[in-house]
Amino acid sequence: MIILEFIVAMFATISFAILFNAPRKEVVYCGLTGALGWGVYYAMTQQGIHLVLASLVATFCLTILARIFAVVRKSPVTIYLLPGIFPLVPGAGIYYTAYYLFIGNTQMSGFKGLETLEIAGAIVFGIIFGFGIPQGWFHKLSPKQIDLSEEN
Amino acid sequence: MATTKEVLSLAVEIADVMLRNGGEIYRIEDTVIHILKAYEVENFDVYVLSNGIFASANEDKEDACSMIRHVPLGSVNLSKIAYLNQLTRDLCTHKCTIVEAWEHVKEAKNLPNYSNKIQNFFCGLGSACYTFIFGGGIIDFGFSFLIGLFEQMVLNYLSNHKFSRFLRNVFASAFVSMCSILVLQTGLPVLQDKIIIGAIMPLVPGITFTTSIRDFHNGDYLSGTIHLIDALLTALCIAVGIIIPMAVFNSIGGGALLP
Repeated sequence: MIILEFIVAMFATISFAILFNAPRKEVVYCGLTGALGWGVYYAMTQQGIHLVLASLVATFCLTILARIFAVVRKSPVTIYLLPGIFPLVPGAGIYYTAYYLFIGNTQMSGFKGLETLEIAGAIVFGIIFGFGIPQGWFHKLSPKQIDLSEEN
Repeated sequence: MATTKEVLSLAVEIADVMLRNGGEIYRIEDTVIHILKAYEVENFDVYVLSNGIFASANEDKEDACSMIRHVPLGSVNLSKIAYLNQLTRDLCTHKCTIVEAWEHVKEAKNLPNYSNKIQNFFCGLGSACYTFIFGGGIIDFGFSFLIGLFEQMVLNYLSNHKFSRFLRNVFASAFVSMCSILVLQTGLPVLQDKIIIGAIMPLVPGITFTTSIRDFHNGDYLSGTIHLIDALLTALCIAVGIIIPMAVFNSIGGGALLP
């Protein structure tokens, strides 16, 4: 089941990479980044781990992978990070918050709204921790010469 | 040796195109600094905001030069960012001259997007895949694909007719919500919420949100705030767009149409 989730998440991310006009050669790597993020998230929530923590760990993992791709493929990290993060963005939270507010269930709406903010916060810290790792560690992966700080 | 003005205007032009296409602030400042340093401009200051660039060089010398650009928040184009990143590398290692670089910048501005048909298809596929991984079944996958396909057409139509970004988001999510209600009326065993969640993913402000976080992380609080507010307003527009058709159908059907 997790393999199926992984593959579908990969196609989802690839589709969005194309919507954002990612370079043709990098599209598959965008897909892998997104699929890893979703795979980690899915596996963790299946184990009964709370989705906020799962979002944090998944974001952290995909940020690291995006940075590795950035060094190896010599492209800006943005290209992999932006499409890759989409499966974790709480779109569902926005919908449920609005929906419960509409049907008059303010309690559920508040709960979902808070959960959306918590997930957003988890993504924030996932990215910050992911970028907290020194760039020097990634340079070892770089093919041939060490470049300017452009991969950041 | 190139004059200060030539170097600075090239650097700012590259920064302008990067900012327009969704690069983050830190990278853009970094790009300008690298180019100026590579061409031995010593005294300079660069300040980039999410919608403006301020740069000056050699202020105390005869060839003093400064530039200001206003850059509206725009849509994201990752190809252009990648292209200009490569160009900056080549410039800094002097693999390409300033005159050639201007040609390349022009080329970057005119990089072809994926065609509309391809974008429509992948918007559909993306929506469908998200519907699936958020728990939808195979029927939901199909409907989500169709809705996503038409959604991108609606978005294209709206942006061709110069609708503001907020209205585009409201109308597109209203379109998604309306379609999902119609699908529900067919009586098939569909999960309306999963279809909507999948189909609003192309609108969700994931990019501005991520950029905002990275701006804060790099200490660009003002740009981070601008992007964050943009993300929050977009989310609000999506929420409003979802509710409008529900409210309309609800008042027509006396509340009987909704689950």
